[in-house]
Amino acid sequence: MRLTNATWKVTPRWLFLLFFLMLPGRLAWAQADITGEWSPRVYNDGMDVGDYTGIPINEAGRLRAESWHPDLPDLPENLCRPHPIDIGLRVSVSQLYISRELDSETRQQIGYRLHVAWQEPEQVIYTDGRPHPSANAAHKWSGFSTGHWEGNTLVYTTDHLKEAYLTRTGVPRSANATVTTRIKRYGNYLNVTFIINDPAYLTEPYIREYSWVYTPDQVIAPFPCEIIPEGTILAAGRVPSYLPGKNDILTDFATEYGLPLDAALGGAETTYPEYIKKMKTMKIAPRTTTEHYKRSQ
Amino acid sequence: MGRNRRSILLRAGRTFLCAAVLLLLPGARLAAQGQRNAQQAVPKTPRAASPKDLTGYWVSIVTELWRYRMVVPDKNDFQYVPLNSEGRKVASTWDPAKDQADGVACKAYAAPAIMQVPGRLHIYWQDDSTLRIDTDSGNQSRLFHFGGSSPQSEAPTWQGYSAASWEGDEVVDTRDGQGGPVLDSTGKLVPRRVLKQADYLKVATSHMRPGYLQRNGIPYSANATLEEFYDTFTDSYSGNTWLTVTTVVHDPQFLVEPLFAHAHFKKIPDASGWDPTPCRADQPR
Repeated sequence: MRLTNATWKVTPRWLFLLFFLMLPGRLAWAQADITGEWSPRVYNDGMDVGDYTGIPINEAGRLRAESWHPDLPDLPENLCRPHPIDIGLRVSVSQLYISRELDSETRQQIGYRLHVAWQEPEQVIYTDGRPHPSANAAHKWSGFSTGHWEGNTLVYTTDHLKEAYLTRTGVPRSANATVTTRIKRYGNYLNVTFIINDPAYLTEPYIREYSWVYTPDQVIAPFPCEIIPEGTILAAGRVPSYLPGKNDILTDFATEYGLPLDAALGGAETTYPEYIKKMKTMKIAPRTTTEHYKRSQ
Repeated sequence: MGRNRRSILLRAGRTFLCAAVLLLLPGARLAAQGQRNAQQAVPKTPRAASPKDLTGYWVSIVTELWRYRMVVPDKNDFQYVPLNSEGRKVASTWDPAKDQADGVACKAYAAPAIMQVPGRLHIYWQDDSTLRIDTDSGNQSRLFHFGGSSPQSEAPTWQGYSAASWEGDEVVDTRDGQGGPVLDSTGKLVPRRVLKQADYLKVATSHMRPGYLQRNGIPYSANATLEEFYDTFTDSYSGNTWLTVTTVVHDPQFLVEPLFAHAHFKKIPDASGWDPTPCRADQPR
């Protein structure tokens, strides 16, 4: 019996057999367990107006940030607004619960679900290979995320995010940003690394990292929030902001901590060690009247 | 008709052949693995067993706690350090001029703080079981020993003694679908299987001279210990290769709870920009 090339050509049946050939190797592998209750060990830096330090922000982002007003979070429409997920995990009360996301009918795992304490935002990370939706699909506070495992690291990409902010004091992040997140477990510690790429407001990827400690007895309390239609301390309908060049509190942070103003206003250059030398040649405002300076004397 | 029968027989034979190969393959694979294991009876050196390559030149990218790292913070500014009352007392006595004069300007370049100091790293294998990190800031060298133990008879040093291991692997009992043990045809327990492979570096450091967690004299004691986790990856979106370092400082003498810190480094092709500086008590690097 002579076998010809035609006899052994690739057919769907061969691909089917190939699948079985690969199966034993696939079964021998599993991922790290990232599910459970995690207690945050994160620090709320970037809390001051005019503090853009360490952010590779561009001119458009800076202009936008300078218009931000401290009364904005008190607008009725902002009272129950969750943080975007890429900052929500960092600031405020960020106890974290991670669970498996199961298909309701097949009970097969299709991803993971993150639940954060403050305002209870949830993020589903699909690991079942589904595509991202059309660019015209709705944008959400937690975006749309698909992920895969790289060794013991869950890596996922989030887009379809609503326009939001990188700090609680108004450094903007656009709706066109893509966030790559890596979740990795180091024993009883959980690390989450965000790399934010935003062509609108950043000139370089912005990397941030936070840690949690495994706390199986943690209970995340409900976070009820009610919007008061008539407003809080602000009258409804008013949108506080600063016009370009009119922000009279913009320099307070730099003055308070004895920093050159340009350094406080961020940019990719300021994140490199070489910038330390450059700062020595830059002008710093006198500090004698600032509260922090007085406390430190 | 005869031709059709021959064709059917040929197809059936081929399928049988393939099925037989498939059935035999796992066994063949295990046999081959057994042979490989026998050949690999001599354990690999830590260098050869590295699941990830951390070597090369790296530059720090300071995106977090910028004002504590790129400038020297003011005295008593310990907002993000869980310092206890004893630690606060010590912090309030910080005097950089005295540190410089006393020859202890390296207090803020010791193991708990050095990865936070802006600068460049050169990581390389000093030998098959020692990974070395040189820093241009403060001209410090850290040695990560795979195996060995802390030399208690020697005086503590700024960088202390670091024991390193590749972590993240997990071996579990093989279980059947009912949760019971899996036995082979001779009744022997099927060996445990590798659930996960190691893929990060864990470093435990002790035996350190007391020094500073921040450049403004926030102290750690001689009893402090350090856990560090090193990982590297390439970001597919930007193409950058990153080294991430998570540091956990344990110091019951001065801290209410362990201090967590993160440092990020971007891979660079060579030593360009390497800027060696001595330890300086009043400078950020």
